[in-house]
Amino acid sequence: MKDEFYIGYLDRSPPGLSRRLRIFLGCGALILVMGVGLLASRQSPAEPGRFDFGQTPEWEGILFETPLPRLQVSSDGSNRQFLLVGAGKFGLPAFAQGHDGQRVRFRGTLIEQGPARMLELNDPGSFAVVDESRTSPSAEALLGTASLTGELVDTKCYFGVMRPATGKVHRGCAVRCLSGGVPPGLLVRDASGNGVVILLVGPDGGPLQFNVQWAARLLRAEGNLELRDNLPILKVSRLTLIPE
Amino acid sequence: MSLAYRAVDWNRQKRRYDLTLLGFLLLSLGTYIGVTLWVSPLVTAETLIIRGTSLTAILLLHVILSIGPLARLDPRFLPLLYNRRHLGVTLFVLALIHGVFSLIQFQALGDENPLVGVFTGYRDDYRLWSQGRVTLSQFPFEPFGVFALGVFFLLAATSHDFWLRQLGPSLWKTLHLGVYVAYGLVLAHVALGVLQSERSGIYPLALAFGFVVVASLHVLAARKEVKPDNTAGEFPTEGWTEACAVNEVSEGRGRVVTVNGQRIALFRHLDRIFATSNVCRHQGGPLGEGRIVEGCITCPWHGWNYQPEDGCSPPPFQEVVETYETRVTAGRVWIRSQANPLGTRCEGARADAAIPDLKS
Repeated sequence: MKDEFYIGYLDRSPPGLSRRLRIFLGCGALILVMGVGLLASRQSPAEPGRFDFGQTPEWEGILFETPLPRLQVSSDGSNRQFLLVGAGKFGLPAFAQGHDGQRVRFRGTLIEQGPARMLELNDPGSFAVVDESRTSPSAEALLGTASLTGELVDTKCYFGVMRPATGKVHRGCAVRCLSGGVPPGLLVRDASGNGVVILLVGPDGGPLQFNVQWAARLLRAEGNLELRDNLPILKVSRLTLIPE
Repeated sequence: MSLAYRAVDWNRQKRRYDLTLLGFLLLSLGTYIGVTLWVSPLVTAETLIIRGTSLTAILLLHVILSIGPLARLDPRFLPLLYNRRHLGVTLFVLALIHGVFSLIQFQALGDENPLVGVFTGYRDDYRLWSQGRVTLSQFPFEPFGVFALGVFFLLAATSHDFWLRQLGPSLWKTLHLGVYVAYGLVLAHVALGVLQSERSGIYPLALAFGFVVVASLHVLAARKEVKPDNTAGEFPTEGWTEACAVNEVSEGRGRVVTVNGQRIALFRHLDRIFATSNVCRHQGGPLGEGRIVEGCITCPWHGWNYQPEDGCSPPPFQEVVETYETRVTAGRVWIRSQANPLGTRCEGARADAAIPDLKS
């Protein structure tokens, strides 16, 4: 072993050196598996969202554009609400705008996390107005004024397109999504870390004007908290960045 | 060597090296994907790819940075050094996959060019940080990754001996020291990125541990490197410098001594003492730590050959290292301080010579 000399371009390496190297590499493989396994096991778990990528079933319901674009689907005597976004990092696409209160039909992909549901309109050709008459949305239930603290998220990613979809690593994506018109949400967590997303709109119920670069940052949002068709919505009168 | 550039032959050892590398890659990616799916089954495929490749790449970067000092500290690690450029190219491919998937995942299909958005997504924080209005933790991390990927590309693209020949060993080596710049960029990318998102303390600990290992190995190797410089060849006489005892140079072996601040490799071949520059023309490997194999000085790093008599690589190769005159007297080896003109043939001093003749 002591006299062995390694020359890489020869066909064989000295036997003693090979044996030692095999032992070293074996130990290295063991350490690799343990180290990578340990690092992987300590990751924060991904949010329990769902995105039926590639599946575009047909949806029909009444499209409401305010306070946030959504489709109200009636089945079994109850109404279910689906927020609407476009393909990629965009909000309601242009082909679906201007139909507030009308019954429409289109093909789209389901995004879902718990009670929150969203549809991605990714097939412009399938969009059709079924009934041009306009229906008014149901009245909101005012829950009171609220001051909430949480992370500013883009709801499309958070509800299921990306897992995980929070924190600084996702910040660049959240900025683009919010800039493209995806509805903003405030991810408010309880003491045990369970999160709920409160949808954010402007004080008059229109789109919220805010700095999209605040995505993934901790914010305090104050305003009137409402429940509209089971969607928790905060009409934000004041939005403050919390220094970290 | 460099007379002609042909496709690299994958001999048995090189195949084993690459298969071992592939095995380690699959082990790392497989372990990461398996454990992640176990603890977080809802994670997306894109996240598995982005994180799996980045974790494997950063581990590989630590290995690459450690091989050099490890081989200096213990020659048994030299087989890992031989095809280290394969590790570098693999690292670039992993980093590229990580970068492309991240760019698509986080920047594409939006209202901004992804290549612009990756730098300007939350550009206010550059200014706010410089004004002290946000902490360093908010500073954008993505540009550090882009710059690191650029450096890895440069190093991978110039890793072939063709570029070594075109740029010259000195410039090529300097360029490839850029791996330390890339390492710094990667540390910043990770520290300002995923470490700000993940809550477990194991990630900063692991990153710090990796840095300490790499830094410690470099310090230990540097200390070993400096040692012989302080001990050899301090009393030049009439242009000759006493190097060492003749019996300190074994038949077929080399020894490094320092003369006038220059490292010189001594070899004993067929009972004659030869002296050449210690610096291999290929990548600056320490020739004096090599051997005489089939009559040629053989560099321990990549096996480049030089004839001890004239410092020339055997035909058809054309590399030449400087040779020095040697004398042996009273059991001591003496070296002429001035190098011979390149290619000068030397007979080498007989190891058993007894006549002192230092003034000739």
